[in-house]
Amino acid sequence: METNNTIKILLVDDEVKFLKAVSDRLSIKGFDVTTASNGDEAIVAANKGGFDVAVVDLQMPGTDGAKVLEILKQNHKFIEIIMLTGHATLDSAVECTKLGAFKYLEKPYDFDKLVDALKEAYQARMHKKFESNQKRMDAIQKLAMHQSPLGLLKAMARLDDGEK
Amino acid sequence: MVNTKDFFQYDSLAFFGKVNASISHELKNVMAIISETAGLLGDLSDMASMGTPIEPGMLKSCTGSIMEEIQRGFATIRQMNRFAHSIDTPVQSVNLVDLLDLVINLSGYLSFCGKTCLQPCEDVTPIALTSPFLLQAVVYETLIYSFKHTGPGVEITISLQRRDDSAWRIIFPGFNVNKLQVFPDVVTKAMAASIGVAIHCDSAADRLELDVPLMIEGVTAHHVLPEMPDMGNASRTRA
Repeated sequence: METNNTIKILLVDDEVKFLKAVSDRLSIKGFDVTTASNGDEAIVAANKGGFDVAVVDLQMPGTDGAKVLEILKQNHKFIEIIMLTGHATLDSAVECTKLGAFKYLEKPYDFDKLVDALKEAYQARMHKKFESNQKRMDAIQKLAMHQSPLGLLKAMARLDDGEK
Repeated sequence: MVNTKDFFQYDSLAFFGKVNASISHELKNVMAIISETAGLLGDLSDMASMGTPIEPGMLKSCTGSIMEEIQRGFATIRQMNRFAHSIDTPVQSVNLVDLLDLVINLSGYLSFCGKTCLQPCEDVTPIALTSPFLLQAVVYETLIYSFKHTGPGVEITISLQRRDDSAWRIIFPGFNVNKLQVFPDVVTKAMAASIGVAIHCDSAADRLELDVPLMIEGVTAHHVLPEMPDMGNASRTRA
């Protein structure tokens, strides 16, 4: 069993057996997996926070995968999302890419490809987070040169308001 | 005389493609579950060979899941076969209960469609001389429109009754038909008209009705084949 991965995954699919099998396999590989069997459940779970990557089925009853993708990207600045579909079309791939999907996999896929995609997505998330932190540090340094301590605190609060 | 070749235009082909796409989507889901569960069994075997104790219940659950999905796959292929053969004969004597059963199963492969139940007429076998393929298309479009209108998680009960000596009536009840402004669309209307099916919105009773003539006018006897064979033991309710 691999134990060096602690990537937090949110796995969303209305096929409960699929959800269970993939979740078990990813857990064996060392990922920390939370499952949701519909879009609304996924949005609630994501709001509780802390997910690095979400894997979302495109076609679900009710709130579908594209809507979940859109909402998660809006509400969680650094989350990366891998879309799964049983019926890949160019249109849906383009739509998901426009909405910010990291990758688009067609079912049934090779499990190793999913694992690779998860690791790549995690790297991308960490890179984005690092860049964002770097920018923040640069901004704080600049502010510190020209501000009083109180002014600096106020400016930092404004910076933090921009973060989600 | 009706030229039966005229029944099958581009729109029919589009319907055939649409249903086949939904079936292939269902089969992909089945294959994905089998693939992942078989993969899980492989992972568990690897763990066992490295000395990690594996709970027998987990293995049993995996094999049970694979068996269930194989049955689901077979059931889907049976429906696919029924659908594929529905175009064999342009016009024939059709048992409407069998036809509705097939449409209910086919609509169940669409993610937004909920559960559909069928309430057949009790004392008679509802037979009509019609184009099974086009009637399926009209009923299918009506049913998926109903689900799009009612939203997810809703159960629809279709009932079938003898309207009078000339027609059967298929009823889709239980939603606000006053708000139905875009149904039937031009294509469904044309397909329905081509086989003499009338679509009514009964606002007072809050239901959609399809009146299926017992016989299409102008169709000659040589188009008539024996009643549709029983193609399987599919449930009339989507699981």
